[in-house]
Amino acid sequence: MAKAKRKSMAKGNAKAGYLFITPFIIGFLLFLVVPLVQSLRMSFCEVAATNGQGLKYKWVFLDKYKEVFFKDPDYVPRLLDNLKNMALFVPGILVFSFFMAILLNQEFAGRAFVRAVFFLPVILSSGIMVSIESNNSLMGSMQSAIKEDTSLTSITKTLENILLTGEKASKFFEYVINLVDKVYDIANSSGIQIIIFLSGLQTISPSMYEAAKIEGCTAWENFWKITLPMISSLILVNVIYTIVDYCTKSNNQVMDLINDKLFKNVDYGLCAAMSWVYFGVIMVILGILAFIISRWVYYYD
Amino acid sequence: MKKIKAGRQPNRSLAGDIGVGIILIIFGCFFAFPLVYVINSAFKPLDELFVYPPKLFVRNPTTKNISDMFLLMNKQGVITFTRYAFNSLFITAVGTAGHILIASMAAYVLAKYRFPGSGPFFKMVTVALMFTGYVLAIPNYLIMSKIGLVDTYLALIIPAFASPMGLFLMKQFMESSIPDVLIEAAKIDGAKEGKIFFTIVMPLVKPAILTLMIFSIQSLWNNIGTTYIYSEELKTLPFALRTLAAGGVARTGVSSASTLFMMILPVVCFIFSQSNIVETMASSGIKE
Repeated sequence: MAKAKRKSMAKGNAKAGYLFITPFIIGFLLFLVVPLVQSLRMSFCEVAATNGQGLKYKWVFLDKYKEVFFKDPDYVPRLLDNLKNMALFVPGILVFSFFMAILLNQEFAGRAFVRAVFFLPVILSSGIMVSIESNNSLMGSMQSAIKEDTSLTSITKTLENILLTGEKASKFFEYVINLVDKVYDIANSSGIQIIIFLSGLQTISPSMYEAAKIEGCTAWENFWKITLPMISSLILVNVIYTIVDYCTKSNNQVMDLINDKLFKNVDYGLCAAMSWVYFGVIMVILGILAFIISRWVYYYD
Repeated sequence: MKKIKAGRQPNRSLAGDIGVGIILIIFGCFFAFPLVYVINSAFKPLDELFVYPPKLFVRNPTTKNISDMFLLMNKQGVITFTRYAFNSLFITAVGTAGHILIASMAAYVLAKYRFPGSGPFFKMVTVALMFTGYVLAIPNYLIMSKIGLVDTYLALIIPAFASPMGLFLMKQFMESSIPDVLIEAAKIDGAKEGKIFFTIVMPLVKPAILTLMIFSIQSLWNNIGTTYIYSEELKTLPFALRTLAAGGVARTGVSSASTLFMMILPVVCFIFSQSNIVETMASSGIKE
């Protein structure tokens, strides 16, 4: 339906349409596409800064990529580690935020206030806070002391030991325990996802639930047959957003390494190659996930 | 709102209510914790900041940290505190306004029309979301210096205009919350594209605009911006505060005060727009 209704630009107000989108395209080309192409070129070059003449490029083709994969001791392990953490984090964030969105969509006293509280991390996760906190070396050493201190006595650790030494299902327990360990991080990085799900839940027409109620559906059936399909397109949006957000966080291991190399070794070519490898890997993962999920997404129209 | 209320009668038991309440309280504490901590540490005297194990709440609150911050700020150089604050406010205001306008105009066209290349273009935008790494900094700098924007406000403002995040979010919201029928009706009544955009589309996506505003304010307000700006009188507030905070262990109090200070603007903006962001996303004004 929606597709048939959309008119082509030629029929509609083509001039206005192009006028609307031009500013963005110009900015996009200038500040994203051009730098991207340039960094791709850098990744095949030995880049050196010369005095007064800008940058000098020397074409080395795949050398930098070879260095990334075979010479650099940190890159590949960190990348794999990052992917492993991502596989843990992303489902956790999605399930948690979906769950919270459903709770926040209920009627209860003080709902507006509670919703505001849940949006707080989005505002607070500002770069300056992170940098100020980590700048302070004393605070840092204190933090690590606390971490060691509490991990010795924590209940989850004890429970973890009991469960892990037990049955064959230990892989599963390991996953769950990892999630529990990170529950604070998960909660703190799911603000946007909650908002996106919440807005999706509110666009579901109440008449659907009414009809289901008249037909005698239980709340459980409602959830699987109405809520989940209606919100499935937003699940895709959230998967993409979560992965992107996780991978481009400033305290991400891989980003850290690239940053280090950039400012300590000043090897632009290597950094560019590392970024492109990272980027490529994430794109492949995103592509596969988007393909799988979009098979299953239900479009109302 | 009324429609939603009528449709969902709470049919939980008391135990269910309590359960939901407990879960919300627990996670609510998680979410509120950083805010409470930052506010409290800003008022802690130096000895309390280093208490081990750290205390969440302040015992003997003091405003010394904050007065120290202003004192140091005014002592440090020829540039006054207000100048830094103005720089940051100006960059944030112009950057945010421009970003919202440009992103929503493009998003409107992408969400409601199809033209040659619109599909691939949006895919490219989504891909570009991924690539905000440090590596772009160098090519970006080269471009900036070529078009002569280095060491001006524009060097920080203009890249914000083209941030792909805004376009991505706005397009998603517009696709789901603006019925095509509404736009068609407006066209039949003789409205031009510009009028449709400003009088119909923009008011309808107000929640999305406000969400985007928060994002944009947050990233611009915290922009340290020393990559492109050298003149001291053009530097931003976060840069100034960071310089203060980096002064060593004795400046820990100042550093926690400045963290609180930097938080004020985003939190205030959020409080003003909060009811719009999280309430009533669904009010298209169309009966299906």
